[in-house]
Amino acid sequence: MATPAATPHEFVIRTEDLWKVYAMGAEQVSALRGVNLNIRRNEYVAIMGPSGSGKSTLMNLIGCLDTPTRGQYWLNGQSVGELSDDELAYIRNKEIGFVFQTFNLLPRATAQHNVELPLIYAGVPSAERTERALEALRKVDLVDRRQHKPNELSGGQRQRVAIARALVNHPSLILADEPTGNLDSTTSKEIMGVFDRLWEQGNVIVLVTHEHDIAEYAHRVIHIRDGQIAEDRVTARAAVRT
Amino acid sequence: MHIREAIRIAFESLWAHKLRSFLTLLGIIISICTLVAVVSLVNGVNFYVATKIGRLGLNTFSLSRFSLHEYTDRQAYMAAVKRNPILHMADYEYLKTHAKLPVETAATIFSGFNATGTVKANGQSMDQVSLRGVTPSDISMSTFEVAQGRFLDHFDEEHRTMVAFIGPDLVTHLFPDVNPLGRHLIAGGHRFRIIGVATRQGNVFGNSLDQFILIPISTFRKLNGNQDSIGISFKVANSSLITPAIDEVRLLMRARHHLNYYAKDDFGIIGSSAVMDLWHRLTGSIAAVMVGVSAVFLVVGGIVIMNIMLAAVTERTREVGIRKALGARRRDMLWQFLIESAVLSSMGGLIGIGVAWLFTTVAGHLTPIPFQLPLSAVIVALVISTAVGLFFGIYPAAKAAKLEPIVALRAET
Ligand SMILES: Nc1ncnc2c1ncn2[C@@H]1O[C@H](COP(=O)(O)OP(=O)(O)OP(=O)(O)O)[C@@H](O)[C@H]1O
Ligand SMILES: [Mg+2]
Repeated sequence: MATPAATPHEFVIRTEDLWKVYAMGAEQVSALRGVNLNIRRNEYVAIMGPSGSGKSTLMNLIGCLDTPTRGQYWLNGQSVGELSDDELAYIRNKEIGFVFQTFNLLPRATAQHNVELPLIYAGVPSAERTERALEALRKVDLVDRRQHKPNELSGGQRQRVAIARALVNHPSLILADEPTGNLDSTTSKEIMGVFDRLWEQGNVIVLVTHEHDIAEYAHRVIHIRDGQIAEDRVTARAAVRT
Repeated sequence: MHIREAIRIAFESLWAHKLRSFLTLLGIIISICTLVAVVSLVNGVNFYVATKIGRLGLNTFSLSRFSLHEYTDRQAYMAAVKRNPILHMADYEYLKTHAKLPVETAATIFSGFNATGTVKANGQSMDQVSLRGVTPSDISMSTFEVAQGRFLDHFDEEHRTMVAFIGPDLVTHLFPDVNPLGRHLIAGGHRFRIIGVATRQGNVFGNSLDQFILIPISTFRKLNGNQDSIGISFKVANSSLITPAIDEVRLLMRARHHLNYYAKDDFGIIGSSAVMDLWHRLTGSIAAVMVGVSAVFLVVGGIVIMNIMLAAVTERTREVGIRKALGARRRDMLWQFLIESAVLSSMGGLIGIGVAWLFTTVAGHLTPIPFQLPLSAVIVALVISTAVGLFFGIYPAAKAAKLEPIVALRAET
């Protein structure tokens, strides 16, 4: 799918020879070995690959949670490597909605407060925060559970809260690392339904999964093996949808 | 900054670990409690002493054979005994006519026979009663008034009558259910007729101010021989006249004793300010010691807070990771933990102030001293405890702020 002629601005994500090397004592583990990846606006991408192949490492780099050892990364045309700590925080806050396999909700906070967190760091005033958090919870059908704490919610509901939190600041990019990894197949379908709707509303979605039927929700599947892109194909659905 | 969010988080985590927070705060609580309690105790006692001694105090001063320094330093006292002449009634008469600034002058003598001794009357006896000879003008220098009967007068003075004006404690002990006026008591082997009773003054440090017998100074000197030195007190119309009046009396006495320009005074003048100075120095050093003790507690308390905040940061590494992943900047995390630390330790300050308040209220009920928490002490205590929290929170908070988002997210907690 990569179109060499395209200018960086056409891509939400564009990486060039991305490396991530972990030093484990004397030994060096290369989790990523030169990944070149371009993702356009309104794409719906699944990343697959065996365990330990570097999928999470790549997602963390794309999500600005981690920095590459080598290589370049442009997010919406902006070179991430040149950004300061505060600017990276700003990007995580405004541009990216991250959904984790283990939900990563604050255990003592209510669903609504968890969803409000990105807005707090964006400096949104309290009344508007409530309004926007409820709007995001509505998108995942959880308005009636807004006062529940995570331990009072089912796994699927927790992941929906996490998705609402990822949406609330209207990011340009939604990243999900095995969002259904801890869920049963019925709940997984439900969650994938939510991602479908989000894509329809114009979000770019990149998700990591082990399961083929989950990957088939996407329009493009990228296979990673040993820290490199091994395969990049369009799914059956893409033909139907686009 | 998201101060409101930070304060909310602080209270939430305090509440989530109620017992731990309380134990953590013990150092701060004890320290702030000591600080506030000592300040209010010293304040209360100072106020009390100022009103008790001070009434005699503010507008009066007294001349005696020895200075305050000579009274309190043994060596100086020994030298002064040889050097300082005895003060006689003639000195009193002289100063009374020649010192122009004092509005009232009185003479007192209280050394000699039965200075604090046994008194018998009405079939009862009582110990530790002070017997003093005074001039009629003494009443205007004193902190008591006449409650019953009359005070000693010039007739008594001139005729050396055997009459006594007594403190209310003697009435309670010796004449529990009879009118003491006109009755007799025996002090120092002599028999006196009671002519008046003083109003009650209460205690200073457990010593009653109401166990005294006053007789005419002329009578006292007749019974005791003439050898004892008298004390002479002076009263001025307002406090601004004290210093000039002291200077006047001093010059008169130096001239009378023919002291040359360079000689030291061979008498002592004790203003109420000198007494209050001595007192303030005493309470000041008590307060200094207690402030030192509470400072040590404060540092210990601060270190405990730092320790618990470090534990909190480790415990909540994951939370830090989540917040950072959602857009919290370094300074957001720094402030969150700093505020948590400050809230924690100011809670300790508040509890300490509460305990000190309880303590002083109880002390106020058990003693006649009007203890109260000065607002300034409360504010200072709050500021100090908050500052301690902020200071000892810096290191843990900086540690939280520096965490890399991905490292924090991966932490196993
Ligand atoms: N913090 C780290 N320190 C050292 N090595 C690491 C670290 N994180 C990941 N690795 C290594 O990098 C490689 C890729 O890890 P990564 O988590 O990206 O795999 P993955 O594709 O997400 O696997 P899974 O499907 O099991 O989640 C692995 O060999 C892993 O051991
Ligand atoms: Mg992974």
